[in-house]
Amino acid sequence: MDNRRIRTSRSDHTSTCLEIASSLVAPRTFLFSQPSKGSLNFPLRRISTLSRSTMDKSQPSSFQQLEKLGEGTYATVFKGKNRQTGEMVALKEIHLDSEEGTPSTAIREISLMKELKHESIVSLYDVIHTENKLMLVFEYMDKDLKKYMDSRGDHGQLDYVTIKSFMHQLLRGIAFCHENRVLHRDLKPQNLLINKKGQLKLADFGLARAFGIPVNTFSNEVVTLWYRAPDVLLGSRTYNTSIDIWSAGCIMAEMYTGRPLFPGTTNEDQLQKIFRLMGTPSERSWPGISQFPEYKPNFHVYATQDLRLILPQIDQLGLDLLNRMLQLRPEMRISAPDALRHPWFNDLPQLQAQMQQPMVGGYGGMVGGQPNY
Amino acid sequence: MAANFWASTQRRHWLFSKEKLAEIRDNLKERDKLAHSQFPLPDSRLLNIYFNQQLTKLGKRMSTRQQALATAQVYVKRFYTKVELRYTNPYLVLTTAFYLACKMEECPQHIRFVVNDAKLLWPGTSPYPITSVSSVRLFLVPSAHTYALDFITSDVSKLGECEFSLISEMNSQMIVHHPYRTLSELQTELNLTSDEVALAWSVINDHYLTDLPLLYPPHVIAVMAILTAVVFKPSQTNFHGTGPPSLAGALREGGITNALAAIGEKNSPGPPPRVQRVINWLAESEVDIKAVIECTQELVSLYEVWEQYSEKHCKELIGRMVKSKNLDK
Repeated sequence: MDNRRIRTSRSDHTSTCLEIASSLVAPRTFLFSQPSKGSLNFPLRRISTLSRSTMDKSQPSSFQQLEKLGEGTYATVFKGKNRQTGEMVALKEIHLDSEEGTPSTAIREISLMKELKHESIVSLYDVIHTENKLMLVFEYMDKDLKKYMDSRGDHGQLDYVTIKSFMHQLLRGIAFCHENRVLHRDLKPQNLLINKKGQLKLADFGLARAFGIPVNTFSNEVVTLWYRAPDVLLGSRTYNTSIDIWSAGCIMAEMYTGRPLFPGTTNEDQLQKIFRLMGTPSERSWPGISQFPEYKPNFHVYATQDLRLILPQIDQLGLDLLNRMLQLRPEMRISAPDALRHPWFNDLPQLQAQMQQPMVGGYGGMVGGQPNY
Repeated sequence: MAANFWASTQRRHWLFSKEKLAEIRDNLKERDKLAHSQFPLPDSRLLNIYFNQQLTKLGKRMSTRQQALATAQVYVKRFYTKVELRYTNPYLVLTTAFYLACKMEECPQHIRFVVNDAKLLWPGTSPYPITSVSSVRLFLVPSAHTYALDFITSDVSKLGECEFSLISEMNSQMIVHHPYRTLSELQTELNLTSDEVALAWSVINDHYLTDLPLLYPPHVIAVMAILTAVVFKPSQTNFHGTGPPSLAGALREGGITNALAAIGEKNSPGPPPRVQRVINWLAESEVDIKAVIECTQELVSLYEVWEQYSEKHCKELIGRMVKSKNLDK
């Protein structure tokens, strides 16, 4: 039997998952001319393609595939249950296309997840290869932030303590990525996962990339439009960690109002929505802006609005932090470590302690999540 | 690709001591002595050179970034610490490592172009004379039939399968840290001239011809390359485009070892000021000086081995093994 699987560091988990691999069909293998002696992990050369259904009957998978959780950027995600341990997992199925081998997005995600182990980043337990698909086994999270807001908040609006706790965890995850020279590039509520303990974790690293090596240019086709930083919208290809901070700012505002802050429909409309609120930048407020490929000298000129107009609930310190994240000029945007040191977070441990008691099961909000950044 | 080296899988899983590496290779050999006696291959140091040069050829053909090529070199080395070379078609492994590295380094190449270029680069030797007509046809219409003897088949799914083997054997640990980044970071700090940077860069390129990427962290390699570059002033000896022998000769004369010996002996009348400046920096840094010296020695021995290297010999032995074991099928 050929087990084509990739082991991850969670060896305890791995052993419990071993069963599933044996139930899956091996890809036709070509590489090895003969088995070496002794215990062997390598497949034989050219194992004839076995019929999948027969194998499924003979060896039931150790993961029970449950309902579909959603469609990712390049995959379908199902809820799964480890038959042996009862543990819930998320199964991310990626269809393989013989014309491109393993998709770059999957390769990027798998390899980055191997390097990024942090409590604010969703864990990858296992990678399983079957004949025509690749399955990534992730730690199970109950829902994404978008669904969480819809299901729990008042018209999507979250309470003050939850917002603060989520922002802290989000920024910790971002800070960890940046410290490890990784840009997420696609932060949005759908990519932030929440569990019953009130933990928030970054997921979907399919568009993430490592930075810090001299490369020509980055692609500017990143980050869902609504959370995309103005410099990227203007066509910058030299963006950096600040693009993730812009997205975090948009997400913070959305948690207050329940609605996306800048729901643009096109690149231009997106810029206009941003300028209408943040003010139209000029060469004086943003030297060099006219050099951007997408810069138009005839941008409609808007004056800067006070964010409090659309976020009446926000307190002074929160507003200050938000303003620092939503700076139009990337170099003016606050860094993740600095944001974590912002006084707005000073009372978080205290607030969480107060919230401890009334939390009984379900989506309480922030339980436990002691900030130990 | 980058991330934090100190916490990286490269540091934790893919750096070995010399002894450990030798042991891994002995174990692979131990498992199948028969294959080893039936198919003698050149010394691993010579194979290192051969694989590196073949990959470089493929990279040049497809005009790839150096970074991706370097990553591919490391993949090949990692893979062969897990898998016995004699069970594989090295040409397919090289091609796949290249293809995968291009994806990782965000300069992806189309699978068909990679396969086509690899086929053209490594044609099998045909036992039958090819008539002029068919050779024209062969050139214009590559069909599976006429190419059956090549080391790489047109079936792109083979590459896809090999890709997964590679990912799997490397435990999905595909992010590789290279010395190039340290070099560019130190360029300003040490005030290196562009000639020195160019020479250091080519020394880094050369270190992929050896086991060094499996033995030392990238910053140690970078420091070694910088020292080499500064000690052998590129302005004096024209390094660009010269073969290894001149550098080998220069290294043998012991310039670098002497220079390094000066560390610790303060005030010794030693190297010229430029070199002294790098040495002072090194002495104050926390770079493992012993490791830097060992790297230099490894490089010296590369240049010595290189003098006995014969591409033809490597090609013949590998070709014979692949063909007689039908590894290309």
